[in-house]
Amino acid sequence: MIKRFLSLEWKQFRRASYFQKGIAIKILLFFGVIYFGGAALMLGAGMFFILKKTFPEIDPLVMVNNYLVYWILFELMLRYFMQQLPVMNIKPLMIIPIKRNSVIHYLLGKTAFSFFNFISVLIFLPFSIVLLFQGYPVVNVILWFFALMCITMSINFLNFLINKSNTVFYGIASMVIAIVALRYFNIFDVTEPVGKIFNGLFNQPYLAIIPLLTMIGFYKANFDFIRKGFYLDGAVSKKIKEVNATDLSWMDRFGSVAPFLKNDIKMITRNARPKQVVLMSFFFLFYGLFFFTQKVYIEEMPYLLGFASIFITGGFLLSFGQLVPSWDSEYYKLLMSQNIPYRQYLESKWYLMVFAVIVAFILSTPYLYFGMDIYLIIAAGALFNIGLNTFITLFGGALNRVPIELDTKAKAFSNTNGFNPTQLLIALPKMLLPIIIFFIPYHFISFNAGIIALALSGVIGIVFKNFFLNKIEQVYQKGKYKTIAAFSEKK
Amino acid sequence: MIITSNLSKKYNGVSVLHIENLEIPKGQSFGLVGNNGAGKTTYFSLLLDLIQPTTGYIENNGVMVHESEDWKPFTSSFIDESFLIGYLTAEEYFYFIGELRGQNKADVDALVSQFEDFFHGEILGQKKYLRDLSKGNQKKAGIVAALIGNPEVIILDEPFANLDPTTQIRLKGIIKDLAEKQGVTVLVSSHDLLHVTDVCERIVVLEKGEVVKDLATTEATLKELEAHFSGSEVV
Repeated sequence: MIKRFLSLEWKQFRRASYFQKGIAIKILLFFGVIYFGGAALMLGAGMFFILKKTFPEIDPLVMVNNYLVYWILFELMLRYFMQQLPVMNIKPLMIIPIKRNSVIHYLLGKTAFSFFNFISVLIFLPFSIVLLFQGYPVVNVILWFFALMCITMSINFLNFLINKSNTVFYGIASMVIAIVALRYFNIFDVTEPVGKIFNGLFNQPYLAIIPLLTMIGFYKANFDFIRKGFYLDGAVSKKIKEVNATDLSWMDRFGSVAPFLKNDIKMITRNARPKQVVLMSFFFLFYGLFFFTQKVYIEEMPYLLGFASIFITGGFLLSFGQLVPSWDSEYYKLLMSQNIPYRQYLESKWYLMVFAVIVAFILSTPYLYFGMDIYLIIAAGALFNIGLNTFITLFGGALNRVPIELDTKAKAFSNTNGFNPTQLLIALPKMLLPIIIFFIPYHFISFNAGIIALALSGVIGIVFKNFFLNKIEQVYQKGKYKTIAAFSEKK
Repeated sequence: MIITSNLSKKYNGVSVLHIENLEIPKGQSFGLVGNNGAGKTTYFSLLLDLIQPTTGYIENNGVMVHESEDWKPFTSSFIDESFLIGYLTAEEYFYFIGELRGQNKADVDALVSQFEDFFHGEILGQKKYLRDLSKGNQKKAGIVAALIGNPEVIILDEPFANLDPTTQIRLKGIIKDLAEKQGVTVLVSSHDLLHVTDVCERIVVLEKGEVVKDLATTEATLKELEAHFSGSEVV
């Protein structure tokens, strides 16, 4: 029976849309996997030595144990937002004579091979091996590693429950907030006591039985949950969400683009995929930390700062904007036959991106900590984003004809939607242009001249907004039929 | 109102639609019948400029459909679910369409309230997104949305499919009323010969992309159509 399931899975995998892509993308994906896998491996192997060097007086293992709780919470968060639930095409199997139990066992067992479980393995396996080489007691290390894996699997199954029921999610979310708040206000630091637990786990290896039991417990809970709801309208059905209607009529002041803006806001707040993008763009805000904390960049390669500043305010712009017509792919025919001039449609998307850049810029105020220069360059970058990057991104979107399933989360490593060589070519000016615009005046005149040039380029873009939008509209108009045809293809 | 001239559509050299000449006057209720693949949806897609004609053109109220967007303000349509925005509730969807067509909330409410019996209490005030409604209810929402904003041309592809009998009868009333009293040109396609003959003043039969019959509906029309499709032509 399992063999049959496996053959079904294999077919699903082989025939999935992302495998039908060109060889170039397959190679890129392959390198992507190698890169991230390699990075995790290196981190795992190097962690021991890095910690030893930075905190010579503390045992690296103790250090890792102390902060393990954050890793667990992070993993839980990451999974909640990114991990797709393994709803195997269960409907056709319901009426076929297969024992329900074996279908459910298979469904749950499959999740053990999720990409997210391998992150933990890739980090902690090398770390454990290093521990062994460093002369830590063999049994303790092995059982500690085993315990961690059980915890990872527990998270895996816990996530399934969280995703299915809101109460669990709110419970955990409030717990996370409480932990972070307590630490932030220096009331109570959860790190040490939890660290003690994990250290105890290492010192008394037989305690590894607890995570093992936890894992089995969560597995059982999941099993019962699905078993109970193994009906069309039960656990395997799509969750029908209650409408959360918000009054957006204050947006009417934006005039003719208001209906679209309101619609886009609803689109973003009510669908899984755009929500994910918003979350990702939030992480972009921290991109500057890589650059501004390192003296090398500030003193020797300041032109790269312009590059960094684009990302700080442009997260949403880049990740949302590059898929612009695709967001509306599910009802593109409606938009094309309704009383909508293309121009208004594009303009509303432009406003949305500008709005996002402004919000990101406000949120980036803490970067003042790194000095006025840094802050000014972020401001100039924001102007560049508003004035030029929005148009470049919209233009790039015209060449992108991949439909998006709005309410399905993108899977890790299968998220190649809208990824093709043309996109890559379009991405180049987005990255290189700010560097060039900043570097030339910087090199020949001064740092401030670079900032001014970057800001000015953005202002020019805003001044010529109509010109750019007209040009982009023509490109969209020209590709209209192709886009409609591509969007109506079944995935 | 709608003039089709020398229109053809080919995919990879295979012709899927070829209409020499077809004129639909204002206020006519026009029915398009034909088997699967006869070209009904292709014709409607061309009318809405969703695909590009290989040759020829369609003129909608004097506007060349594939050259100008000016036909959009007075034309509305419901072809399939891709005309619905799945993450909106039915009300939000109606208001959105209303806004696009220059109608305020009160206008939309007034129009929609006429269709409360049509909706059977399953569409308005449901706190459900359109994507979570059943196929039939989605269709009802789509059809009513196509009536918003006093369009002069309404295009409905297979409006009777997936609807329950009560709604089918009600819909026939709505369509007749639109054409006879309000002078709206209504274009309908269907597989159901009985429904089209009930509703449409004129019926055109498409076969493999060509017009094979063009009938003004009389009492004999249903018999003639049935004979045609069963393959035993009576002259």
